[in-house]
Amino acid sequence: MAVTAAAAALGSGSSHQRRAGLGPWFCLTPMLGWLLLFVIVPTLMLVVVSFSERDALGRVIYNFNVENYIRAFDWMWLKILGISVWYAFLTTVICLILGYPVAYFIGRSDERLRGLLIMLVMIPFWTSFLIRTYAWISILSQEGLLNAALMGAGLVSAPIGFMYTPFAVVLGLVYNFLPFMILPIYTSVEKLDGSLIEAAYDLGARPARVFAQVVLPLTQPGIAAGILLVFVPAIAMFAITTLMGGGTNPTIGEVIQNQFTKARNQPFGAALGVLLLILFLASLWLSSRFRREQEA
Amino acid sequence: MKKHTTLLSAAIAGAMLLAGCGKKDDTLNLFAWTEYVPQAVIDKFTEETGIKVALETYSSNEEMLAKLLAGGGDYDLIQPSEYTVEAMIKEDLLTPLDHAKIPNLKNLAPEFRAMPFDPGNKYSVPWLSGFVGITYNAETVPGPVVGYGDVFTPQHAGRIVTLDDSRELVSWAMAASGLPANEVTDDNLEKIKPLLKDWMSKIKVYDSDSPKTSLSNGDVDIGVIWSGEGAILFNQNPKFQWVLPAEGFHMFIDSLAIPKTARNKDIAEQFINFILRPEISKMILDEFPYYSPNAEARKLLSEAERNNPASYPPGLDITKALLFKDVGEQGSKVDELITSLKVQQ
Repeated sequence: MAVTAAAAALGSGSSHQRRAGLGPWFCLTPMLGWLLLFVIVPTLMLVVVSFSERDALGRVIYNFNVENYIRAFDWMWLKILGISVWYAFLTTVICLILGYPVAYFIGRSDERLRGLLIMLVMIPFWTSFLIRTYAWISILSQEGLLNAALMGAGLVSAPIGFMYTPFAVVLGLVYNFLPFMILPIYTSVEKLDGSLIEAAYDLGARPARVFAQVVLPLTQPGIAAGILLVFVPAIAMFAITTLMGGGTNPTIGEVIQNQFTKARNQPFGAALGVLLLILFLASLWLSSRFRREQEA
Repeated sequence: MKKHTTLLSAAIAGAMLLAGCGKKDDTLNLFAWTEYVPQAVIDKFTEETGIKVALETYSSNEEMLAKLLAGGGDYDLIQPSEYTVEAMIKEDLLTPLDHAKIPNLKNLAPEFRAMPFDPGNKYSVPWLSGFVGITYNAETVPGPVVGYGDVFTPQHAGRIVTLDDSRELVSWAMAASGLPANEVTDDNLEKIKPLLKDWMSKIKVYDSDSPKTSLSNGDVDIGVIWSGEGAILFNQNPKFQWVLPAEGFHMFIDSLAIPKTARNKDIAEQFINFILRPEISKMILDEFPYYSPNAEARKLLSEAERNNPASYPPGLDITKALLFKDVGEQGSKVDELITSLKVQQ
């Protein structure tokens, strides 16, 4: 128990306060300008368009109505949203299960090795995720590498249809988002104070208990960051889901993209986008509340 | 029409935006389909005339329309499909062409000089045309395959690829039900719903960008795809047979046109005249083996190219081809129907 108290003390130790002068505000101006220009203004435009109409060519007509939101609450769109959230949830859980041990191993390994291992995690980022997704297609297809290997080894007699299934979608998502889980957890693990772990052992805790009561609580900020970094973008991802899933199970990202292009219905796409944004904000709010409650 | 690896090109769109910053008046601002204008053609044009070409790309007519109408770019030349040309003429968004500056119009095949969406090429000049038809792997599909009815059978369930295009899917079901494909009314959509539902329960992959991929990888056996993709598959392996659906087939025509907002109309007309030259048109056909609207360029094709059944279907009667008309706001209904059926599977 002394150890958890120490951890709690560590967690709250960093929140000392200081009044900011003009200097810091001046330094912040570029960032605030950036936020205004690329976050606040586009979001406001999205909201305005979502309450508008459009003409036959898809031009937005600024004529206030709530039709788009009424339409958005049809079971069909909600089901699509449900499927997207389910895919994102699976992706997050698998990324956490796979990513945590990797991050822990890297974070606790020798300092020189650490840099190399982190670089190995980062290297795939040097290539566009679309190219890497295309690579998966040539691995998973019926005449692809995996089936050739399985048949060559005599494990299966006929090729297996891996591609264009929910399995392929989740695999593509996990593959692309795994580094976003590993990196924040790694940062937490790296900062882990080894003496706390030693103290726990000295006090007679077994490895499982050390992990549950010392390591896990101390790396929790990394886990929370990782979950947000994976879950939120995974809901709205569209390119990977289309390529790997064959477009048979549309996700909310695909549907929104479609409204802005083929369906010529920007206002409806904007309404779906606003709803998705509200969902994200709600999940952010919930997670920060949860964290505050834990700290209290 | 929609070319493969659209998504890949999206990844480098940022670079293209940057490239567009240095626009000058002696530059042709071309707004075209992704991977539809061979780089060799652009280079040749610049080499001959000294005029630079700034290429920006889109992957659907709607995307092009949205950008053009938003007034985002000063496009001199665009590449709309037939129903978009029709809608743009109706909305007075295109500039009439000066035929005196485009003498090579004479190279066009007669049927392409009298298309119903723009008779006499007043506003548009065909770039490439093609069909939507059936490609099947003759090693795994015994046949005979004649029409849509032979594609969406229980034997092929889970082995079918189609274009990921709501309007296309709806038009096939309407053709199979004996309905006129351009009368996309609520009633007609309701009528074809059960048939579409049955068809779509059997489709494995929707892909407009590169439908040939799943066929050549062996993940599916049969598909309803662009003729250019079918032609490439046939060139790879003649086991990929091509059939124009007996119930009716869609023919698309992608044209060059000059928007009202264009700043360099002269250069745009110069480019149109340039690509109408038989040897330049042939360069386009080398990369995109679609149906050529250019009668003189067709003469330059090799025997193998001319005999590719997907590019030049034997016994083709072009008067039977179905051309899409613009359906305006009904497009949203079409999209909603297809999305709802996808979700129900």
